[in-house]
Amino acid sequence: MKFWWLWRKREKELEKEIQHHLQMAATERKERGATFREAQAGARREFGNVGLVKDVTRDAWGWRWLEDLHDDARFGARMLLKNPGFTVVVILSLALGIGATTAVFSVIYGVLVNPYPYANTDRMVHLTVHETRGNPLFINLNGPQLQQLRQAGSVESVAAMGGWNLTTTEGDLPEDVRAVYLTSNAFIYLGVPTLLGRGLLPSDAPEGQDPENVAVLGYQFWQRHYNGDPGIVGKKIQLVHKSYEIVGVVRPRFTWGDGEVYLPLKLTADPARTYFPMTRLKPGVTRRAANAELQSLLEQFAKQTPSHFPEHFHVTLAGLNDHFVERIGGTLYLLLAAVALLLLIGCGNVSILLLARGTAREHEMAVRSAIGAGRSRILRQLLTEALMLSLAGAAIGVALANGLLKLIVNWLPEFSFPHEAAIGINLPVLLFCVGLALLTGIVFGISPALRSARPDVAQVMQSSTRKMTAGVHSRRTHSVLIAGQIALTLLLLAAAGVAMRAFVSVVKVNLGYDPHNVMPVGIPVHDHTYTTWEARGTYFHQLLKKVSEIPHVVSAGLSTNATPPNNGWELRFEISGKPAEEEQRARINFVSPEYFQALHIPLLQGRIWNEDETMHGAKLALINQTLARQYFPDGDALGSAIRVPELKGEPPLALAVAGSDGWFQVVGIVSDARNDGLRNPIMPAVYAPYTVMMPVWTQILVRTRIPPLGVLHAVREQIHTVDPDQQTDRDVLDLDGRIKHEPEWEQGHLIATLFAGFAILALALAATGLYSVISYAVSRRTGEFGIRMALGASPKDVLLIVFRSAVMSVAGGVLAGVLLTITLNRVLARWIQGSSLDALILAGVVLLLVATAGLSCFIPARRASSVDPTVALRCE
Amino acid sequence: MSERYRNRIELLQGTLDLLILQTLLWGPQHGYGVSRAIRANSGDLLQVDAGSLYPALHRLEKKKWIGSDWKISENKQEVKVYRLTAAGRKQLMKERSRWEQISDAIGGILNPAK
Repeated sequence: MKFWWLWRKREKELEKEIQHHLQMAATERKERGATFREAQAGARREFGNVGLVKDVTRDAWGWRWLEDLHDDARFGARMLLKNPGFTVVVILSLALGIGATTAVFSVIYGVLVNPYPYANTDRMVHLTVHETRGNPLFINLNGPQLQQLRQAGSVESVAAMGGWNLTTTEGDLPEDVRAVYLTSNAFIYLGVPTLLGRGLLPSDAPEGQDPENVAVLGYQFWQRHYNGDPGIVGKKIQLVHKSYEIVGVVRPRFTWGDGEVYLPLKLTADPARTYFPMTRLKPGVTRRAANAELQSLLEQFAKQTPSHFPEHFHVTLAGLNDHFVERIGGTLYLLLAAVALLLLIGCGNVSILLLARGTAREHEMAVRSAIGAGRSRILRQLLTEALMLSLAGAAIGVALANGLLKLIVNWLPEFSFPHEAAIGINLPVLLFCVGLALLTGIVFGISPALRSARPDVAQVMQSSTRKMTAGVHSRRTHSVLIAGQIALTLLLLAAAGVAMRAFVSVVKVNLGYDPHNVMPVGIPVHDHTYTTWEARGTYFHQLLKKVSEIPHVVSAGLSTNATPPNNGWELRFEISGKPAEEEQRARINFVSPEYFQALHIPLLQGRIWNEDETMHGAKLALINQTLARQYFPDGDALGSAIRVPELKGEPPLALAVAGSDGWFQVVGIVSDARNDGLRNPIMPAVYAPYTVMMPVWTQILVRTRIPPLGVLHAVREQIHTVDPDQQTDRDVLDLDGRIKHEPEWEQGHLIATLFAGFAILALALAATGLYSVISYAVSRRTGEFGIRMALGASPKDVLLIVFRSAVMSVAGGVLAGVLLTITLNRVLARWIQGSSLDALILAGVVLLLVATAGLSCFIPARRASSVDPTVALRCE
Repeated sequence: MSERYRNRIELLQGTLDLLILQTLLWGPQHGYGVSRAIRANSGDLLQVDAGSLYPALHRLEKKKWIGSDWKISENKQEVKVYRLTAAGRKQLMKERSRWEQISDAIGGILNPAK
């Protein structure tokens, strides 16, 4: 802008200077006796062409490039508008690639690179351990242990949190509120300022005293419950009949623990009460050194509270985002690879088209160069055009990216990315995109430009005709580009095929239970309520009875930890009289007898315990087919006994029946149902009466005649009649919906859909590329075909000539693509879980590609063969 | 057309620069004044046309050999007046000695030593 202003000023000054010159000259002439008109005209004549003088003077300013740019851009725009087909294809090719790449890169940036708003996130760790086998375990510590952790040499600071479901007790039905209790240093530890008011302060939980009744609201909760009331600070909120003063509201990205309200936590000395530690390492301390130091500390803790630790473990501190990187990282990088392929194919298209046009414009360039255009001037003209195309592509690409981004974020598996992540097209991503566009423009704009900028003027001019076949060099470049495009498209198509098949196998998996018209309603039990085994058992029983009475309910079963398709606690078990050679693990489920009826899981042998046995906490068990087959191959399961040694209560939280770690008699075998997700094989499972183990949360599975969510309100009202303070989980999904929220389903859906979409786009791009090359070649050979046909060639012969010209590159591309796909198969199989490439997919993909390529050739070939020879010959 | 002008600038470049700098040595002058002075001092022999003069003036200004100020003329007009800078003075000396060398050399060729 400033530059423009300066330009205008100098322009005006030059005008003034020249006017003054003319005036002086005229005045002098008049003094010598000329008339006014003669003097004016004479002065002008002597001066010469004013415009031209200005022009050459402006040259001296050294700003000429700017004017040239303006001219180039205008000329470029005219050329591009003259060939709308070319322009649209190039811009779309770039826009698709850039849009898709930007979208996926934005997601990666948001989820993997910079997901957290907290301070020094790189030094924040989760205290996790690995058992000898299996997944990482999060370790919770009790109050005294946390104090000791604080003293560790590698640790800078420790905060802690606990969670509990509270309820608002102001409305008709109690509303569930996820409370996160944080030690009073946690807000300082996390280092994010609040939106309104203040965070929790050390003075909110003074040492040795009960914490103050203050609450900080989560952003979402503040929006939902209070409509974002800006004057909320200072008001009161009632949670389970206790009044808290609202002192602040956190920022939208502060979602630590997905809390809806944050309350001060007082660490107690009770060894059974554990808290989730939040640890920040000192600067410069490696993960490894910290692991080593904490190993001995945790071993010491394990001696104090053995039930909180696995038997053997080694400390493996995990970064805040490690879990998510593991879950979704591969998927996202795979998508990035896919869109990068799409971008490459798009760029291939652009390159083909620019190259073809460059050749077609050789004559124009020769004329320009013959009348004195410098080489750099022509190069600049072509570059300007290429850059205009790529910038237009980038602009449309950003718009496309915006749409695609929303789609991907919607489809991301809900618990596979940190909720703090702000996924949006942000500045780094935008820069990446524009950089990409410019690079594409320069690389692919300059390669044809370099060639056509030094045309062999004499040769081009002499060959008087504009229609001639392109040189061998350009034909070879075209063939290589086409082959490359086809190879990459084949890879993408094969990947899409594999991903779709993997997803189909997830969708069509045999569940072993009937999810239709069943909804699980979660029931969090309040702190300090129903603290004896009898009271809690009776309470759960009453809840179940009340819910069963609802008219549309067919059956209702209670299940503490058994919501398929991923259910049960995975624990070690023993079989009476059969000492285990290796570790035996099973999913242990606590359910009521109606559970099997509600889920339509058939009983195959024996019996299910009855209501009376449930109320007494009878030590009876059902096992699934897998367990029976694996551990009782002789069919002697019924009557045997199973023991789960780790099954111990921890009052007042988890209430177990006396002798819960003793022997359970197996009374029946039920059919297998998915219990380890949709893809993994079904694990051995044990079902025991829910009264054996009652934690502070349970749920009722309700089977209904009508769509179950329609009954939810009735269920809540019935529960309300048993305990007016008893809320249910707010977000209830029926089992059909839950399947669609399983990570395998969501991930499979995301990958399959996007890959299919990208593959189709790639196919369209490659087809356009091939079509452009063939029709360009055909249009240049119109004269040749005219001669051939005049000499007796049939349309079929011409058709064949055209096809033959494409066969080599298509066949080469297909071959390269097949080889590439087979080579990359292992990588693919690792990232698209549960997938494998087979001959069927590969054959299908090759067929699809060849058919598309055939069609892309056929259309221009037919045009060539149907041309009238007399017209063709005259078109010179 | 523009090529014609550009070529002439190139031909005259060294010489024209020298003439302009020399003219400004006698005092600040506007563009028309410079062209008139060159013509008068060469006995109407050298005529510098505007298409050479103004690019040369602007180029010398960019090189900081001459500076310019806007002044108000007797008939109340804004006039751009060029003046020689210290760097220009130095440049003038250089160009002069070079010109004299060339002039001597050519003179020597035309009039071989008798």
